[in-house]
Amino acid sequence: MAVPVFTLQLNHKLLPGRVTIGKYDGSHSCLTAATTADKVLIHSPHRRLGTTSQMSGAATWSQVNKEISLLSVNRNVSALCAGRLHPDLEQDILVVGTPSSVLAYNVENNKDLFYKEVADGANIIVVGHLSGYENPLALVGGNCSIQGFDYKGNDPYWTVSGDNVRSLALLDYDLDGENELIVGSDDFDLRVFKEDVMVGETSETEVATILAPLRGSKMAYALANGTVGVYNKLHRVWRVKSKNRAVSVLSYDIDGDGVEELVTGWSNGKVDARNSRTGEVVFKDNFNNSVAGLADGDYRLEGRSQLICCSVDGEVRGYDSSRLGSLMEGNAHQDAVRDLLQKKQALLMELRNYESNTRSSSGAAQTNMNAGMIPAKTSLQTTVSINMGNKSKGPHVELCLTTNNETIIRAVLVFAEGIFAGETHVVHPRDEELTSSLKVALFPPRDVPLDIHIKALVGLPRTEQFHVFELTRHLPRFSMYNLISASAPLPEELPQNFVSFFISERIQRVVLWINQNFLLSSELEPESGGGSLSLSFSALRDGSLLSISMHPAGRMAIATSNMTLAGDLVQSLASFLNLSNLQVTAEFPDELAHLGEWLEKVANLQEVRIQLGADLAHRAGLIRNLIVRAEDARLLPDLTSMREWHTQLLEVNDDLINSYNIRCSNHNELLEILKQINLTIQKAARLRVGQNKADVVNLSRSALQSNNLHSLLKIVRTGEA
Amino acid sequence: MDIELSRIDYSLSGITQPHTMELLPAAGPRLAQKVVIGDQDGVLQSFSMKKGEQQMVFKTLPGPAISRMCLGGAAGTVKDKIFISKKGEVHGFTKKGKLFLSFDTCLAESIKSMHINGSTLLLCGNTVYNQFRDCEDTGSFLSSDGITDVISLPGEKTRSLVAVLACADGVLRVLDGAELESLNRQSRASSRVSATAPSSATSSALRHEVRIPGAPTALHLANNTGGEAGQSVLFGTDDGRVGVVSVTRNSPPVWRWLAGTERAGASVSTLHCHDLTGDGELDLIVGRDDGSLEVFAVEAMADAAAAEDAAHRRFTYTCPESVSTARGGVLGTQGYDEVVVSTYTGLVFGLTTERVDGVAALAHDAQSVSMTVGQDTRRRLQALRAELDGLEEKVSAERDRYLAAAEVGDNVLSVVPYLNINHKMSLIREEAAYLLTLEAATAIDNVLVQSDVPVDILDVDRNSAVVSFSDCDAEEGNKALVTFRCQLNTTRLDLRLRTVEGQAGLLRVYVTPLVAPKCAALRVLRVAPLSLHARAHQADAMADADRPFSVLTLRGAFSLAEMHAWLTACLPDLSDKPPSEATTLYFQSTLIGTVLVCSYGRGEAEFKSDNVSTICILKECLSKLATGRSTHLDISCAVNPDSGAHALRLMFPLLREQAALHRDLALLDALRDLDKDALAAKFLAILDNEADIRDRHKRYPAYLDRLCGMLTDLYIDHFKFRGLNVKARVPQLLDSVYKAPLDTLLDTLLQHFREPPPDLRA
Repeated sequence: MAVPVFTLQLNHKLLPGRVTIGKYDGSHSCLTAATTADKVLIHSPHRRLGTTSQMSGAATWSQVNKEISLLSVNRNVSALCAGRLHPDLEQDILVVGTPSSVLAYNVENNKDLFYKEVADGANIIVVGHLSGYENPLALVGGNCSIQGFDYKGNDPYWTVSGDNVRSLALLDYDLDGENELIVGSDDFDLRVFKEDVMVGETSETEVATILAPLRGSKMAYALANGTVGVYNKLHRVWRVKSKNRAVSVLSYDIDGDGVEELVTGWSNGKVDARNSRTGEVVFKDNFNNSVAGLADGDYRLEGRSQLICCSVDGEVRGYDSSRLGSLMEGNAHQDAVRDLLQKKQALLMELRNYESNTRSSSGAAQTNMNAGMIPAKTSLQTTVSINMGNKSKGPHVELCLTTNNETIIRAVLVFAEGIFAGETHVVHPRDEELTSSLKVALFPPRDVPLDIHIKALVGLPRTEQFHVFELTRHLPRFSMYNLISASAPLPEELPQNFVSFFISERIQRVVLWINQNFLLSSELEPESGGGSLSLSFSALRDGSLLSISMHPAGRMAIATSNMTLAGDLVQSLASFLNLSNLQVTAEFPDELAHLGEWLEKVANLQEVRIQLGADLAHRAGLIRNLIVRAEDARLLPDLTSMREWHTQLLEVNDDLINSYNIRCSNHNELLEILKQINLTIQKAARLRVGQNKADVVNLSRSALQSNNLHSLLKIVRTGEA
Repeated sequence: MDIELSRIDYSLSGITQPHTMELLPAAGPRLAQKVVIGDQDGVLQSFSMKKGEQQMVFKTLPGPAISRMCLGGAAGTVKDKIFISKKGEVHGFTKKGKLFLSFDTCLAESIKSMHINGSTLLLCGNTVYNQFRDCEDTGSFLSSDGITDVISLPGEKTRSLVAVLACADGVLRVLDGAELESLNRQSRASSRVSATAPSSATSSALRHEVRIPGAPTALHLANNTGGEAGQSVLFGTDDGRVGVVSVTRNSPPVWRWLAGTERAGASVSTLHCHDLTGDGELDLIVGRDDGSLEVFAVEAMADAAAAEDAAHRRFTYTCPESVSTARGGVLGTQGYDEVVVSTYTGLVFGLTTERVDGVAALAHDAQSVSMTVGQDTRRRLQALRAELDGLEEKVSAERDRYLAAAEVGDNVLSVVPYLNINHKMSLIREEAAYLLTLEAATAIDNVLVQSDVPVDILDVDRNSAVVSFSDCDAEEGNKALVTFRCQLNTTRLDLRLRTVEGQAGLLRVYVTPLVAPKCAALRVLRVAPLSLHARAHQADAMADADRPFSVLTLRGAFSLAEMHAWLTACLPDLSDKPPSEATTLYFQSTLIGTVLVCSYGRGEAEFKSDNVSTICILKECLSKLATGRSTHLDISCAVNPDSGAHALRLMFPLLREQAALHRDLALLDALRDLDKDALAAKFLAILDNEADIRDRHKRYPAYLDRLCGMLTDLYIDHFKFRGLNVKARVPQLLDSVYKAPLDTLLDTLLQHFREPPPDLRA
């Protein structure tokens, strides 16, 4: 347990994850946090007294605590970040995000830099330099899109992401001295953007809620299921999982050894620091409430920064390396002794197990049913296959476990992340149904390669102790697609939705890719004759058809009505064949028809919105008028007319609430449609590889801005304007 | 005054039971003592610590598990003889490790508890108490419920043999040893043919029965000597409290509480008294099976008649394993008192008054001390590491042999010895929930809990394990499948279970320790139909005289033992042994406080309860069991019409509190955004109590739902006995709980119970 170097109480309830620190005057750190009352709190312990000229403007200094000023946002603060956004000023600018707007605010001058409506909302904001852009940007992650604003409020950067953006980090990913952007989104993916080209992508097991840059190309991440860990580029260095959720992650050198530790603030109030190379805990402390955020800043004016932790009830503690060293030593020795003793215990147990094993094997020992006993030659076979299901269970991937003798399988624990409600799935049959084989049905919800860890409890019938067999099986990425055998009749009609492209590769290589990425009962043999390849699969999830064909000349076609699947297949194939660029022709008439509808709807909705806005203003005017009249009547005192005015006021008020509700639902509808449009663009981009992919995004953007549907459709279809 | 103790780890033995470690007396005060510890492998060892290194005095060979240890010696001499019990034998060792006594008691039960007083040896099995003088059997006594511990008042002070038994039914039984002795002589003289005396004859030796709330689990003499008169005994209970009782020869014993506990569900495993700070006052050391160890300063510890004065808690420590035994003394460094603790897994550590951490050393500016401490630990670490390396080599060789064996033989069996899993499922009365504790000798890898009854499995905050609730396939008959993946070095896991009365079944727990070859141990636990009832004493249960009882009477051709077996299946905490004559047992519902009185004998049984639901469940359950044994039962049931309303009244305070909490909680978020000046005092009060409200809600999540479930059952059963089905009316009833004004809620609910719904009357 560590001793803080300072503690203080803000007396405000803070929102978790929305804490930042900024040097708004260029030299003094000010802790900044969003409160539950839709305000932004700025704590300036080193404020020069007497500069009360700042009293005017948006922020007000608290009456109670002279160090705290509050900025009313009046909307739920969804993201908060302070950083040097203005290239000419030596001061940090505070950027506040809400579900519909972004505000850049100069705290020192109490002046707005810019205020922008963002239709996609602001889930997360980071401020910093991005490669390829001269001025620092405030990067705003919203629903499926990322916008980058400069200090003037222009948005030179825009790109789409696979789903709602949850986390962003600026990091020198390829060590070229310039920052790349890492994006974590709701589809569990992490993507790396260099300028607007995606240079890396990996899939996690849950939504990455926090990303934080460490030294070099290392990055810390936290998932919604309680995992924290470190990536070096896109290789995971280590990870740990806890039953609590990480609220904030920060890199800070707590033990003073010159290497930053990964500090995590947890939802149960725990704060711990882990060695960024090994994940070993070097420091921990506990708050009574959930941690709201972590920051590092110089709060004691001693020339070096402290680790500052805030809890949701406003308690703040600061730590640094000075008090840690001496505390750890004595305990470390004791801990080491304890660890060694524990290890000794485990080894002694293991030894005892082997010894008793040899004893009983020699035959003299009595057979005791309580002891776990199985024939030494027992082994466990697993097969993974596709089961087309029955009435009660839909089509699924079936994992079948069988022992090679009379032993039974009591229960099976399947551990895999992202495919079950929890992290494990258990099959525990009734006592009377125990046999030597057991089937587990798996329904992977997404097309990602999976490692499933199996623990099977094997023993003789009616024992109280079971041997645990542990094994790991790999599920290929597209395991939820069943190959339709060539003899089966193919549907007559030609597929309407497909992508087609040329690759200069032999068919054998493509067959190899199919063998590796699909779950096949037997491996496909590449035809030596140089004939064309044509395979059909049915999707287990919805029964739709997928066919892949390749002409010996290199023309490939993937026919499916699912644009996302087509994109996944193209990306998987491209990385298998190491393609740096790929242009495709895409025919998805249904999706394109939607796109047209959506654009039209957006136009309508926006019109309605303007109307509603005008309506709102009109009613607000009415109310003002009515209040004045009612007040007049009250002063006169003309009670009859006062009542009349108030009745009218009530009516207008009801109307106002109604129209506000309409506006709200209108807004939500708009958001949903905009998200769909962004998604479609993203899906279209994923059909291409490399530069062609980035082009689709950029061209679509300009087509959208000019509201040119025709051009947009063409871009989706051909990848070119 | 609080004290600060720091932990030092000493050594490791096998798994240990409570009362299996002692500190041998030293030649003088504050001189270093020696530890003796006996484990489940049957190894007895003694060691001292010298400059941080373990110095072995002696160590015996493995054998049957050691169940108890006691120090003794002839009256007037130093008590430095070590006595241990294993199975049915008692062995005595000198402090040098020389075996001087090996005594086979020839008892039918294996020895569960032991006490030695001069030349008198007291031994208890499950329910039988035996006394020996110079290894000569001088009497026995059959207790009506399980015996958890035994002690005798110091003979040199009382000049007689007075034994105190701690029994699982919440009674301390005081026996007169001399009376037993004479009875024994008589029976021997009269009938040399049948050696066992009938239990009714020995009951005259039972001097007193002291009823205490909660079952006693550990006994110890107050001040280690029994006080000045040698008649005060400390006892610890299964709910973690400590009390003192004064046993005098003629007047009835008096008792009082000394210390409470802050954590529910922990039972006291060890008690000791030692002056840790050298202030002349003995401190009370309490160890519990949840790993907590506390030191109290108690005024007038030995005086049970003293005013009830809460003990002052001076020190608290929580280790992640159950505490088996704790003793105050000097072990690590001469001149520094400490508490020596042995845990379930066999770890021996000290909580010493000597400062070991670096900060303290700096503060005392004793650099040299810190240096030597550092050097000592470093040397220890080196020695340990070397030992581990050797072990690892040995293990890897054995592992290879094991794997090779799997390849070769056809008829070879692979066997893993019985895994010791310490498990305990105890009802926490205040919460009406069960606490399930699982503990293994080494780190646990994962735990799987499967249940075929609907239970809520709740995680406990201090666990670090990752919980995962798996989907249950209806075809497999599972109602809950939960896995706990433990973090590194977890040897113990706690979980809370909330059961529903009327739903019975089995809970299977598979514990997989992190030891190769990997094995899972299965433990099957029973959830009884009346799982939320706990044993009560007659006086407590019947305190309220005018309970409107409903009566269920059964007649049929069943024996007393049969009926007892059936009841054991219906109710928790009943001993397996049937009573010898017709009995009456008292139970109380932990959730709403209604009582159940079971009087049964051969061929006839009567059950009285002021809760109709209880009667209903019992009736269903017993008739099912009887049908299973094809015994014909004559069932008659007299329902008191007032009992429904009465149970509702009992339940109401809790229901009202939870309903109010529910409403406040709903208001909280809305209130916070409003201007405080404009709020009425009522709402301001809610805002002020925010932390408390949230805390209460967090502590008992979904409590209101549970109460509503009970209310619904009660409502349906209430009308069921009148032949009415009111299921359709339940939504209206629950609606009142959530919406009706709190002040008139009771009347509204009573109205529901009073009138049969008009639409059903026909």
